[in-house]
Amino acid sequence: MSNGVETKPNGPVAAAFLAAGIGSFVLGLMVILAEMAINLGGETTTRTILDFSKNYGLGSGVGPLSGKVAIATIAFVVSWVIAHLALRGKEVNFGRYLAAAVILVAIGFLLTFPPFFLLFEPSG
Amino acid sequence: MPFFGEITEREFWTLIHGMVLGALFLLAFGGGFAGVWSLKQRLLTTEGVEERTPRLLAGTVIMAVVAWLTVITGTFLVYPWYRATPPEGIDRALQSEALAEFPRFWLLANEATANWHEFGMEWKEHVAWIAPFLATAVAFAVAYYGLQLIRREEIRRAVMVFMTLAFLAAGAAGLYGALITKAAAVG
Repeated sequence: MSNGVETKPNGPVAAAFLAAGIGSFVLGLMVILAEMAINLGGETTTRTILDFSKNYGLGSGVGPLSGKVAIATIAFVVSWVIAHLALRGKEVNFGRYLAAAVILVAIGFLLTFPPFFLLFEPSG
Repeated sequence: MPFFGEITEREFWTLIHGMVLGALFLLAFGGGFAGVWSLKQRLLTTEGVEERTPRLLAGTVIMAVVAWLTVITGTFLVYPWYRATPPEGIDRALQSEALAEFPRFWLLANEATANWHEFGMEWKEHVAWIAPFLATAVAFAVAYYGLQLIRREEIRRAVMVFMTLAFLAAGAAGLYGALITKAAAVG
């Protein structure tokens, strides 16, 4: 709604909000993958793969948190660039993009909540 | 080892992370949210909008920058000290003075304090990272529209929703950071 006065198209802002939702969702997804510690062969698990501090020297002693936040940040930036290129100069149904972003953020909150993500902890 | 007067290096960075950046985030959020809330055509003259918009932009940009600095210092400087593993010879089942140098293990050594790590720290270290994503989108929206934001009611409302969610994420992390530091300080 632009109140009858010309304003800039809302596509770029919709792209930014959607990207923030995607970053939050991917963060939650990484938390779950680390918690599940899925065996990928030998000593390698989804948890050891996410230890970017050990694998790539991203921070010293940070552990799997380094990979979780690095991947979430990359997802945020990359999805923003893609969405921005797709939506620039366009007037979109902003409510739809905002709803999608809020749902993704809400899922991100849920997946990073310990009583929830601990449900995915391997038994034994 | 004293780093800045009587403050150790670890205490210094914990203060920067929790108190300095945390306080700045709260200030920027408060100012920014009030600015967006009252950005209504019926409340403001053209001069009022022109006067207020740069301050609103500064508030939201500061909020985003501070959110990033807070999670980066927290994750890559303070957190490794918190989760450091004690050397062989220190009993990990006893909350001794030696184990107090290793806050994560000190908390886990007693059932009465274990939940500070198992719930508090596990939540804080993850949920905090949602705040910079949301705050960056907010700052971008305000920078992109500038003076026009007052004519885009749906964007203004979305900005307030995202600012509130960013505040909730940072607030939960900040609250647990303070409580965990009280239970087992990184020092």
